[in-house]
Amino acid sequence: MKEELFVSGRNIPNIDPYLNIWHWQIPIYLYLGGLAAGIMFFAGYFTIMRKEKDMETTVKWAPFLVPGALVLGLFALFLDLKHQLYFWRLYTTIRLESPMSWGAWTLMIITPLSFVWVASYMKELFPKWDWKFDILNKAEALAIKYRKSMAWLMMLLAVVLGVYTGILLSAFNARPLWNTSVLGILFLTSGLSTGLAATMWMSKSKYERKVLSRLDLIMIGIELFLIIHMLMGFLAASEVQIEAAHLFLGGEFTVVFWVFVIILGLVFPAALEILELKGFHIPVWIPALLILIGGLVFRFVMVEAGQITRFLY
Amino acid sequence: MGPLIPQEIITGQWDFVIALLIGAAFGFILEASGFSSSRNIAGVFYGYNFVVLRVFFTAMIVAMVGLMYFSYFGWIDIDLVFVLPTYLNSMLLGGFLMGLGFVIGGFCPGTSYTAVAIGKLDGLVFAIGFLIGVFIFGESFPYFEDFYTANNLGNITIGEMFGISNDWVAFLFVVMAIVAFYVTWLIEKKVRKNMTAYKFE
Amino acid sequence: MNTETDKKHQPRYINPYFGGILLGLLLLATFFIAGRGLSASGAVKLGVVSVVNMIAPEHAANNPYYSKFIPADGSSPLYNWLIFGAIGTFFGGMLSGAIFGRLKKFRVEHSPKISAKTRLIAAGAGGILFGIGSQFGRGCSSGAALSGTASFSYGGLLVMLLMFGIGYVFAYFFRKLWI
Repeated sequence: MKEELFVSGRNIPNIDPYLNIWHWQIPIYLYLGGLAAGIMFFAGYFTIMRKEKDMETTVKWAPFLVPGALVLGLFALFLDLKHQLYFWRLYTTIRLESPMSWGAWTLMIITPLSFVWVASYMKELFPKWDWKFDILNKAEALAIKYRKSMAWLMMLLAVVLGVYTGILLSAFNARPLWNTSVLGILFLTSGLSTGLAATMWMSKSKYERKVLSRLDLIMIGIELFLIIHMLMGFLAASEVQIEAAHLFLGGEFTVVFWVFVIILGLVFPAALEILELKGFHIPVWIPALLILIGGLVFRFVMVEAGQITRFLY
Repeated sequence: MGPLIPQEIITGQWDFVIALLIGAAFGFILEASGFSSSRNIAGVFYGYNFVVLRVFFTAMIVAMVGLMYFSYFGWIDIDLVFVLPTYLNSMLLGGFLMGLGFVIGGFCPGTSYTAVAIGKLDGLVFAIGFLIGVFIFGESFPYFEDFYTANNLGNITIGEMFGISNDWVAFLFVVMAIVAFYVTWLIEKKVRKNMTAYKFE
Repeated sequence: MNTETDKKHQPRYINPYFGGILLGLLLLATFFIAGRGLSASGAVKLGVVSVVNMIAPEHAANNPYYSKFIPADGSSPLYNWLIFGAIGTFFGGMLSGAIFGRLKKFRVEHSPKISAKTRLIAAGAGGILFGIGSQFGRGCSSGAALSGTASFSYGGLLVMLLMFGIGYVFAYFFRKLWI
């Protein structure tokens, strides 16, 4: 007879005292989803505003990152599943009360849409590109004809995607750190900001960089405002939320959060961008890289810290 | 009543965030004074640019006098302030090697970080060499462990060593500083007569 | 080359005495807040210890020098005041370089009388010497000399006098590198 003795003094890793089941796959997925949402939102926006000529990188070249980012993100999510062979069941039903369902269907629409968007600009990047099949040529012509509608759809779905990455966490009412509605908007703003940073890095035109840099400053400002008010909201709520906020105010995540997310990921790049707008010359990769890394660290910190907060003793 | 962190007035992990801010101010002041260029730093040895001496000496006397006054007003508990312990033999050797490294490399670790931050590759090479040096020391440490801890005079202060009160030490330093500033100003004027370039970026 | 006599572009630095006063006040604030001075070499030492600990933990534990800096509770040796101070120094220098227009592409700064390669070799050699010396001296110029002397430490004064004294003694032999 096989006996299994299980003796614990509240020290089972990943179960007791902290139930930690979401590991690196989830923050990577949230980050890539936010980045893709950011890039696509502005691609759609500037197409609708008819600024494709001035904002070439935003509209045409940055979206090339999106299909790869979405596929990688979905793959990370797939790796996280326990019953991976049954992932298709998510697409057999639409449940309006489930954020996961919203997310699955939004991604289901937005991923092919991004592929089509990129494909419609393929001939501009590679002049000798040949689709080889007549039906694909016809499809490309159709896509180019309906670019404006695609842009509207992309913008709206990008907002849904960005908000969904936050709502996915805030739907957990058993995790006090996550159970705030600010998280949806906060992750959307963070995603928009990282998308702008990535586009800014790729851009070659000074005018475009200036416009994107100004938008990025607004996004960073909103993000800082939301983070501060999120913490204020926690400190004004019940005891579990106060404890959750204290993780970031003197607790174990204080350093990582304030140093890598706030100071090095938001405030310092914002200062560099303000200097750039005032005429000082700053190499553009420095604030862009800092913002990108800051966004990733932010997702990791939120997922890690959230799983430490709970209602039990 | 300071110091704040050893007395747990600032708790938790905030002290690391403060460390980052203090380090940022440190790097900013160093770079803005001209320490990110090795040719400015080496000027102190050849007489064409005494920025090292000026900044160093001024900072030292300000901090010394400041500590004295803070302790006098009761704002800081001087016994809790960390005084570097004196290990006579090893410090003599250390000072010798550091002096050589200073005049050959033209940087010190703190200034090499600011040099790397503005894109100077020689600062990067210096920092990497520094790392290798620390590693060499660590690996060969068992061979001279006794030498390293020999002649430990403890956390002795300058005043205790020479039998005068520390307030006199601070006063002497201020006097020396003023004399040094005047003398180096004269030297600099003379050396710069023959040079066209003495302040580097 | 940018020099002070070049009318087109003069390097903008703050007045050294002003810089010294600011640095002194910062040092005072550091003593007030943390009870210790600034030190840049300590961060590198902790970095080396953590790398050795990651690659060969038994060797690190057996080595009497490294083992002193490995915390007993298993957290990383990088979790230390000095590391964040060093990170801050890097970014503070970057900010100042950005404001004063010195943040340019990567370059090697050397005297026109020597080549860039010579300068890099000299920087590397100087770094190695400084690295070994700083461990013997229990600090570098900011840790031992500046903060040590400011807190009236006899060892700090000794290190500072020796560092600059030896520099002056050997300056003649290395003058080709600088002037």
